Amino acid sequence: MKQAKASKKYWATLLPLYLFTILFVGAPLLYMVVLSFLQRAESWGVTSQFTLQNYIQILQPVYLSTFADSLKLALISTTIIVFIGYPFGYFMAKLSPKGKQRMMLALMVPFWTNSLIRLYGWIIIFRANGTLDQLLMGLHITDSPLKLLYTYPAVVVGMVYALLQFMIFAVYSSAEKMDWSLVEAARDLGASPAKAFFTVTLKLTLPGLLSGIILTFIPSMGLFFIADILGGNKVVLVGSLIQDQLVKAHNTPFAAALAVVLMIMTTLMIALYRKISGVRDLEGLL
Amino acid sequence: MKKAVAFALSAAMAAGIFAGCGSSSNQQPKQELNLFTWMGMFPDEVLESFQKETGITVNYSSFDTDETMLQKLSQAKGGDYDLIIADDYIIQTAIEQGLVAKLDKEKLTNLDNVNPIYQSQFYDPDNSYTVPYGAGVQTIVYNPETVNFEITGYEDLWNAALEDNLAIIGNYRVINGMALKTMGESYNTNDVAKIEAAGQKLLELAPNIRLIKDENTQDDLISGEVGAAIMYTSQVTLAKMANPDLKVVFPKEGIGLGIMAQFIPSQAPNPDAAHQFINYILQPEVAKQCFEHLGYYSTNKAADELISEEYKEFLTLPDNFTADSTEMIAPISAEAEEAHVKVWTEFKNACGQ
Repeated sequence: MKQAKASKKYWATLLPLYLFTILFVGAPLLYMVVLSFLQRAESWGVTSQFTLQNYIQILQPVYLSTFADSLKLALISTTIIVFIGYPFGYFMAKLSPKGKQRMMLALMVPFWTNSLIRLYGWIIIFRANGTLDQLLMGLHITDSPLKLLYTYPAVVVGMVYALLQFMIFAVYSSAEKMDWSLVEAARDLGASPAKAFFTVTLKLTLPGLLSGIILTFIPSMGLFFIADILGGNKVVLVGSLIQDQLVKAHNTPFAAALAVVLMIMTTLMIALYRKISGVRDLEGLL
Repeated sequence: MKKAVAFALSAAMAAGIFAGCGSSSNQQPKQELNLFTWMGMFPDEVLESFQKETGITVNYSSFDTDETMLQKLSQAKGGDYDLIIADDYIIQTAIEQGLVAKLDKEKLTNLDNVNPIYQSQFYDPDNSYTVPYGAGVQTIVYNPETVNFEITGYEDLWNAALEDNLAIIGNYRVINGMALKTMGESYNTNDVAKIEAAGQKLLELAPNIRLIKDENTQDDLISGEVGAAIMYTSQVTLAKMANPDLKVVFPKEGIGLGIMAQFIPSQAPNPDAAHQFINYILQPEVAKQCFEHLGYYSTNKAADELISEEYKEFLTLPDNFTADSTEMIAPISAEAEEAHVKVWTEFKNACGQ
């Protein structure tokens, strides 16, 4: 009797959460899926006719290659982020408590500025006769302005810059929880530092590393404004394709279909993450 | 407590009645004009002097995109607003949906000032619903210091000397249309084969593209990031004001035209005030002020000669321009639109390689 009452209360406290989820996650999702099976009207809006055409259209080589290009950019950025972010998070976990606090603050401060404004900062660095050009010319490494802005590398730099801290925090939270005595034990038992790292440390921080990969890989497929601003709109991501379809072509159903496919891809990746790491939640989501 | 509220309410109502009496006994009831358009379309002086001259208060509300405007207008069933200024294509949709009222031309005594190039277009062939306001054309602008040959038309943009040095607008109807124009076709062809052929031609332009951008392209031209750019009128205005040495080219293949036009919604509360406003800004002197503020092409031929030298080159069309050398970008069939999107995506992919 008492228990039944308690569980009723329990439900009541969860009610706002359910309402929120249904209203702001479930309903829009359903709307998007339904929309993706409808047909666009001749001039404006959609008609309520069922069609698979939007999905068939995605199979055209030009759209498939957009998905492939997005994956490629995400892969390149994520790889670079792993090589910078993993050691960073790892060594950050080894700092003194005070050092950790300071480092955390140093990583958070840039977030107080709008991400678009920070990206415009990169434009000032990269543009013709910009900061970087002046530095290189001042050091007599180059003698004329380089064309750095609106190139592929500029986009990669922007992606790495925007997403790096997600990797750092994920690896850090994993490494901080780690029992370092296990590493010492491995060393005592005769493992070389490298061997101890690969058999003990890496395995124990794997959930953090994997969640860092998810947290950087997935957004980098959709952060089209970085590709637009630093890449001069020439690197087409799935995100920019969706935006184009919505804003310029007014083809909402096709945009919805693209978004559904993108979501299925991300869901698969998260399922894969759970399978490999055996962890149900993403690590490092502060 | 209740009493206090009731008292406050009745006091407020009484005040309202007295206020009503006050104005009606002295003069005509206060008139209002609900104007709905983008932000910053008129200089403040023009709105103020209209208010002074006619006693009509202008309530200015703004929208970001044409689509938002149409949504609000159809929710209001053609009411709420007295005068709307929006882009050509969306006006066509609004007219089709019965949201636009016919103009009473007897009230528009200054209508003859309108330049006929901007009239009788696809969205309003008989000019019975709209009066044009500003017009935009896509022009090529280049910096003769960094581009070492003369550009006279779209065809010149394919020149290999422009490698990685060209900025273009991110609008596929304009850019695919440019390729169509170099092939002697119309912007508005519904022939998918022709659109695809234009797409093939565009792929050859990809090595020259440095930047695809809709906003603030003039900055990249001024800073030297690109040597040439296809830009909208408002951007050309800003670029020329920053660097008068830049050259503006009206492509010899002809130019694409966009028009912002004024119309009165079907259920407008005060269509009379709207007519008065349209007629007011059609006066050459007022129109001149508006266009110099707006930075778009003057659609008022009586105002053309009043526009100061400084602005003339980029606010009025060259003398030798006729209606034949312009074409508006009009809505096309869904298949043609789809072909355009596909061609455009292929082109952008090629630019990124």
